[in-house]
Amino acid sequence: MFSSGVKQRWVAFVFVLPVLVLLLSVSIYPLLRTLGLAFSSLELTVSPVETFIGLDNFAKAFSDARFWNAMGNTLTLVTVGVAIQLVLGTALALLLSEIGFTRVVWLTALLLPVMIAPVVSGFQFRVIYNDTFGPLNYLIKTLSGGLVTGPPWLADTRTALFTIMMTDVWQWTPFMMLLVLAGLESIPLELTEAAEVDGAGYWGTFWRIKLPLLLPVIVIGLLIRVMDTFKTFDLVFLLTGGGPGSSTETIAFYTYLNGFRFFSMGYTAAIAFIQLIIIIVIARVFLVVQKRMRGGGIQ
Amino acid sequence: MRKRKPLYLRLIIGAILLLALLFFLFPVAWMFLTSFKTQDQIFSVPPLLIPPAEQWNLDNYIAILTQNNGLQGVRDTMIVASVTAIISVSIGALAAYSLARFRFGGDEFSFWIISTRMFPPVASAVPLFLIFRQLGILDTHWVLIVANSVFNVPFAVWLLKSFIDDLPVELEEAALIEGATIFGAFRRITLPLITPGLVTAFLFTFVFTWNEFMFALLMTRRAVRPMTVVISSLAGGHTILWAQIAAAGVITIIPGVLVVIFLQRYIVRGLTMGALKN
Repeated sequence: MFSSGVKQRWVAFVFVLPVLVLLLSVSIYPLLRTLGLAFSSLELTVSPVETFIGLDNFAKAFSDARFWNAMGNTLTLVTVGVAIQLVLGTALALLLSEIGFTRVVWLTALLLPVMIAPVVSGFQFRVIYNDTFGPLNYLIKTLSGGLVTGPPWLADTRTALFTIMMTDVWQWTPFMMLLVLAGLESIPLELTEAAEVDGAGYWGTFWRIKLPLLLPVIVIGLLIRVMDTFKTFDLVFLLTGGGPGSSTETIAFYTYLNGFRFFSMGYTAAIAFIQLIIIIVIARVFLVVQKRMRGGGIQ
Repeated sequence: MRKRKPLYLRLIIGAILLLALLFFLFPVAWMFLTSFKTQDQIFSVPPLLIPPAEQWNLDNYIAILTQNNGLQGVRDTMIVASVTAIISVSIGALAAYSLARFRFGGDEFSFWIISTRMFPPVASAVPLFLIFRQLGILDTHWVLIVANSVFNVPFAVWLLKSFIDDLPVELEEAALIEGATIFGAFRRITLPLITPGLVTAFLFTFVFTWNEFMFALLMTRRAVRPMTVVISSLAGGHTILWAQIAAAGVITIIPGVLVVIFLQRYIVRGLTMGALKN
């Protein structure tokens, strides 16, 4: 009924049309424009004229230490940061799954950070991390009996990126927790009980039964987090402005700097394009995993 | 049946979760408490946690709303977020139906739609900025609605597709046999049955747009000032108005908090674009 026929195909097309028009005009056209710009020089501070310069922008990117620094920082956030979110989130999910009827209350409270704008939480963290009047270092000092003085978290090149990472961990660990918990709930109780009866113990059951069954859920969660963390901008903008030095510049933030501070539109387009390619690769993996899961049946 | 755990184990679990709760809620609680402090109290050493009882008034809230563009911020954000959400859900539902039932364009087309959602917004910011500047529509609600729709429509399409995929196709087929048009079957059978999906998609796209910062920062100046921009501008001067920022923050998190509380059943689905269900 829904599969064949010329009329059906037309209807299918008409249903998609509004989305198609929107995405073509505001996504594909800019994409082509980006591609064009990436091979041109357009310095808005100098002149509004675009000139073709071939691969120069890409060559510049590959020899630009600040670009690689931003890529490196982003990579740190994407790997270490997301890994911490996964481990903490899984641990919390395991604990929550042991809780009975009050679970929903815990879950609701723990989930709050996920839906809070980074702009909003970012400002609170600026105070929390402040080394003179912030509560975090006060807490460290009090708990250690005055022995340990916390670092100036955001003002020191050695701790700033880590501090941004922990802020992201604060916001997104609950997301991982939620996903893993959903995965745990879909595991048939008979499976884990049988393992426990066989004497597998808690950790044996976790490693051999639960974790393999959780894997698809974890992969989906990881991919979503990797893609989102790759775009980290708001937190950097609010917490450090990329500093001190360029120690916390992410690739998204560096792109913003080039486009909207230095107004080098050609170079901006080139590094934007490099990011697009990376994201497309990750998105492909997401799609493959997602399709497998549909077939595999963990829901 | 699950066997009851020994008391000490339950105490340990409770204690760790309590610690986690403290960690995740502290910044929110801190913000709430800060919104009742005076400027001096922000800088007090040791830090003041709970402001004195007589200060529990709405002064900072009134100040941010009346003196520092807060009312405009709430209004602009409300306009942009609700129109974006309405557009995303309505055209998203149509496309989702076509993808789910006719498999329009196959997997490649679905992938293309979702990939536009995954693009780094900063990558499209430059070309969009140049286009919008040429069209002379920078600093309007529309520019933000369009820019946000690019990221929220694909989200709505995928989320709603997962809801339609769950429906048995026989219901619609029966309606078609009885002479309904395809659009009629969609409107009278499918739409009512995916109401939870429509609500979830609406609220998520609403909150995403409500919380959005980068486009708001880059594409607006004076005429339109969404709440996130209002908040960040409070840090611009040489005195940062921390208490007012906190008050603005409390106002800004309301929609997100409501979603967490009332959308429990669909939150996993929403956050994973329908890839996972619970």
